[in-house]
Amino acid sequence: MTVESDVSRLRRGDPEALAALLERYQNRLYRYLLRLVREPATAEDLFQQTWLRVAENIRRYDPARSFEAWFFSVARNLAIDHLRRYRPESLDETDSSEVPREWLLAAPGPSALERVLAGERAGRLAEAVAGLPVIYRDVLALRFEEEMKLEEIAGVLDVPLSTVKTRLGRALEGLRHKIETEWRGGRR
Amino acid sequence: MTARRGHEAIRSLLALAVAGALEAEEQRRVEQHVAACPGCTAELAGWQELAGSLRRMPTPQAPAALVERTRARIEAQWVAQAERRWNQQLMAFLVLFAWTITLATWPIVRLASRGVASWLDVPYTRTWTDLVCYTVLVWLTAGVAAALLAVRQRRERRLA
Repeated sequence: MTVESDVSRLRRGDPEALAALLERYQNRLYRYLLRLVREPATAEDLFQQTWLRVAENIRRYDPARSFEAWFFSVARNLAIDHLRRYRPESLDETDSSEVPREWLLAAPGPSALERVLAGERAGRLAEAVAGLPVIYRDVLALRFEEEMKLEEIAGVLDVPLSTVKTRLGRALEGLRHKIETEWRGGRR
Repeated sequence: MTARRGHEAIRSLLALAVAGALEAEEQRRVEQHVAACPGCTAELAGWQELAGSLRRMPTPQAPAALVERTRARIEAQWVAQAERRWNQQLMAFLVLFAWTITLATWPIVRLASRGVASWLDVPYTRTWTDLVCYTVLVWLTAGVAAALLAVRQRRERRLA
């Protein structure tokens, strides 16, 4: 069964289509929400809210658009609303802000990055990603974990393509800086 | 000096190159430069390693109980929505039915009232008052029917 056929059956309220879509997206949605809010309990709550919102608004979904982009934008809007309500300070980072100077300066070179990553532990990389501002965690998750096209990411974030590129570049620079400074310094 | 600036410009594009975020022309320029620059080749390898590590990060699994709870909540929501739709349709039907009954039976009631009035030898003049009283009576009956239906439905839901 394709996503499109599951979605059209979900519009008719078919429980089997719901089960199929849940099966297909459960881990990806949970992972994405976890990257955004970082707390499992909050991610679980938002997981439920996202599915309820999707089931409620599925008739308003335009099949000409990508279902995944629509689905993740529903999840993202709920997560951002949550962060805005409970942790407004986490949204302070905006596109107008400059990349911190230390992200660009005194990088010890690619060999240091490679050395660190060679001994990488997945948990530590996830920890480094979690230390980035939410707008950067968001774009990294959509690009590298959800493997979305840049145009789809722009649709999910509701920003121009150029903003997606800027955020991606800054997110990678920031992550690299974190890895090189914190891991090299022996911080665990 | 120009070559140095070109080198720096390409270096600043390497992160976007591994993210697949460059235009075709920029990508071509990067590839050409990297092929001839060992420093940028090493730098690009570092970015590629980082991008690969991001793609390989383990996916946390959604708890099975959470998925089950979510499914149950959506299905309960569908049932509630279907019930709301049914109630709205029933209400519309009852309104239509009550008006139909009121208008269709009014001439009969009027004729019968006149007959009874003339039989009792009472002058029959209160047409509008009677229409209002009759309408209220019919609507009250429809309201009671709707309330009884709702009670029955609630009882059935409790037993289910």
